[in-house]
Amino acid sequence: MIAIEARELRKTFPVRRGEPVEAVAGISFAVEAGERLAYIGPNGAGKSTSIKMLTGILHPTSGDAAVLGIVPWKKRRELAARIGTLFGQRSQLWYQLTPRQTFGLLGRIYRIPADEERRRLARLGELLDATQLFDQPVRGLSLGQRMRCELVASMLHAPEVLFLDEPTIGLDLVAKARFRDLIVRINEEQGTTILLTSHDVSDIEQVARRVIVINHGRLIYDDRVSVMRRALLGTKMLDVRFEQPPASVEVEGARLVKLSGAGAKLVVDTDRRPIRSVLDDLLDRYDVVDISVADPPLEEIVSHIYARPV
Amino acid sequence: MTAVAATLRTAVANGLANRNSFWFQVSLMVANDITWIIFWVLFFHQVGNLRGWDAHDVIVLFSILLTTAGVALGLCANSRKIGQLSADGALDETLTLPVPPLAHLLSTRVDAANTGDLLLGPVVFLLAGNPSPERAAMFLFGVVAGSVVLIGFLVACGSLTLFVGGRGEQADLGFNAILIFASYPLDLFGGATKMLLFTAVPAAFVTGVPARLVRNFDTPEALLMVAVAALFALIGWGTFHLGLRHYSSGSIWIR
Amino acid sequence: MNPYLAGWRLGFLRTIRSPGDMSVRIGFFAIILVVMTALWTAAVDANGGSLHGYTRTSLLWYVFAAQTAVLGVRPRSVEEIGDEIGSGTVAVQMLRPVSVVGLRMSIDMGEACARLIASFTVGALITWLFVGAPPSLAALGLAAPAVVLGCAANIASCHAFGGIAFWLLDAKASWFFFQKLVFLPGGMLIPLELLPRPLELISFALPFATMAYVPGRIASGHPDPLLLLWQLGWLAVLLGMAGAVFAAGERRLQVMGG
Repeated sequence: MIAIEARELRKTFPVRRGEPVEAVAGISFAVEAGERLAYIGPNGAGKSTSIKMLTGILHPTSGDAAVLGIVPWKKRRELAARIGTLFGQRSQLWYQLTPRQTFGLLGRIYRIPADEERRRLARLGELLDATQLFDQPVRGLSLGQRMRCELVASMLHAPEVLFLDEPTIGLDLVAKARFRDLIVRINEEQGTTILLTSHDVSDIEQVARRVIVINHGRLIYDDRVSVMRRALLGTKMLDVRFEQPPASVEVEGARLVKLSGAGAKLVVDTDRRPIRSVLDDLLDRYDVVDISVADPPLEEIVSHIYARPV
Repeated sequence: MTAVAATLRTAVANGLANRNSFWFQVSLMVANDITWIIFWVLFFHQVGNLRGWDAHDVIVLFSILLTTAGVALGLCANSRKIGQLSADGALDETLTLPVPPLAHLLSTRVDAANTGDLLLGPVVFLLAGNPSPERAAMFLFGVVAGSVVLIGFLVACGSLTLFVGGRGEQADLGFNAILIFASYPLDLFGGATKMLLFTAVPAAFVTGVPARLVRNFDTPEALLMVAVAALFALIGWGTFHLGLRHYSSGSIWIR
Repeated sequence: MNPYLAGWRLGFLRTIRSPGDMSVRIGFFAIILVVMTALWTAAVDANGGSLHGYTRTSLLWYVFAAQTAVLGVRPRSVEEIGDEIGSGTVAVQMLRPVSVVGLRMSIDMGEACARLIASFTVGALITWLFVGAPPSLAALGLAAPAVVLGCAANIASCHAFGGIAFWLLDAKASWFFFQKLVFLPGGMLIPLELLPRPLELISFALPFATMAYVPGRIASGHPDPLLLLWQLGWLAVLLGMAGAVFAAGERRLQVMGG
């Protein structure tokens, strides 16, 4: 069954002076029910605008879409009862109240019977490890704790599709990893279709099975994450600081791109050699003070996509 | 309907979460309103009678203004914020819920200070308005209809932002205009100004006509009041919903 | 350039460069003039054409000047000063080698001057249109400096009231009471002569009368230079008070920590 379908979806915004800006420039794709899709692109690529059209918040300039067979902007309220949304930069929880009070209100809004609501809260609290947060005022929660409660709020009415717009923004590494894990769990246990936007490459690798990349409002890549990983995510960036400035850094499977004083940048081709053994080598052979591993930035992947042979 | 009632209840709980601050703001507003009453008393002490209005009538008018403003700006505090909310993209949360968006927006924020008006208004009427059962009934009727007119007008002004952009400045001007005009007896104004108050800036229907109904009940005028309330409810609702098609969710493009 | 002069210039330029904000204020001012004209016309008519020596014309020129002077100051000025103190912004400004309160007042005065030029011109035109020429051109001429002095006294006073936040961390309540003092004993809503006699005398003696009543009185046809002296006297006292409140507050910040 197709859960989400977009056909030539297009949105232009008027600009006070000058030409209107085309935020989404004719995008088409389809998502099967139960899929986990990452919808990614650099800042300003049109990700949020796409999501907002698919949830009925924005009216498209032209084109068609159907979510669960419903045209979002025509029957927004009917659709809203069957989908969930989570915007990383906005909160649906009442700041001065406890999450449980917000859930109570959402229960009324989505017309969930009281005993059913209690059952779901217990289940979600356990699944997302958040029950102990339900009775604290939101203003006292950390961002990571708050996001888990936001996820409970978005899932309370058991939506068939969950849209997440930059949900991990601002979270620290541990909270990010945990949050990604929870999204996967929701998908696997409840069968919820997931569409997630992000400009963080690790969100894709750890959550999604399929990835769509957009840039300047156009779809430029659509494939399985495993394929993309082989084709485009075969590298990791290493940032190393040594005790003494080394004369040179030579480790098998790693290429030195920059050496300045005691700091060095290396690129590791993880297809040739696993990152773990490169790190082991590096730590054995040099006096390393500090080291960090990062994914290549999304901009680099986008330029790889443009550079790859068609 | 239950969803809207539940939202309003939650908004009140949210506003009351910091009780000290809430009551502090309420008492500031009450003190503010009392200054105005002192002004009117001093004014009429000097002036005597103003085209058939004495201090007593004006205080009844003022109690109606306080109560309608308390409903529109206190309980439905977002009624004057629609322009700003649209510009900030803050309609998103509402639009993702399976609820009528305008009703939900109007019930999601309670303003503490203006709740002070809502509390003081009926008290002023009871103390200074000779509240016979008929007069009290008319007060209630006028306040309900006047609040609908005021909210409809403010929502329409704010929704203009969805069409013309900006940050809700036109709404601020409309807000100031209607409240200032509604603070004074209707019979002060003549000619074009009076026309304006019965049409584009319907201040007459926020306080003037309700105050007249409390004084002398008149069936055609009461029916007119109902019709105007319905009209402004429709204008507010219509402008907002037409505007939603142009809602850009705060997407700012400076390129 | 002298830092206070530079501050004045900054405030002035900042205001004339936001015409949207300015036009909303002028629109607001015009509405007030329309309402006040209606109110006082009816009041004077009901009393045989004169109220305590004020005719319709002189009363409305009073309203014009009193309102211009008060609306020149940002309405929430006291509250904003309190927020700056409460949020610790002032503690950072104290690191500069200029007086915090002096620089702040210069900027506010620059903004006020820009607004006054616009609202004095537009307001005078509207009033002229509604009620005819002012009682005397000399009065209108002298009202201009009186409006500026009234604004200056108002700004100094805002800082003295706002400075209470050094102790209370918030100036919302002080803002509120200050505003009411300008409305009634200050003479913005009603000329002091129309108050009961004891209230009139007390109000005249208080500094708030220099912020609305004095410009109004002059514009209503009483170009009395003594009134300007009265303003200057209170302005000096209020500046001293603002300075003293901030000096004490800053010392307290240094001792207690921000």
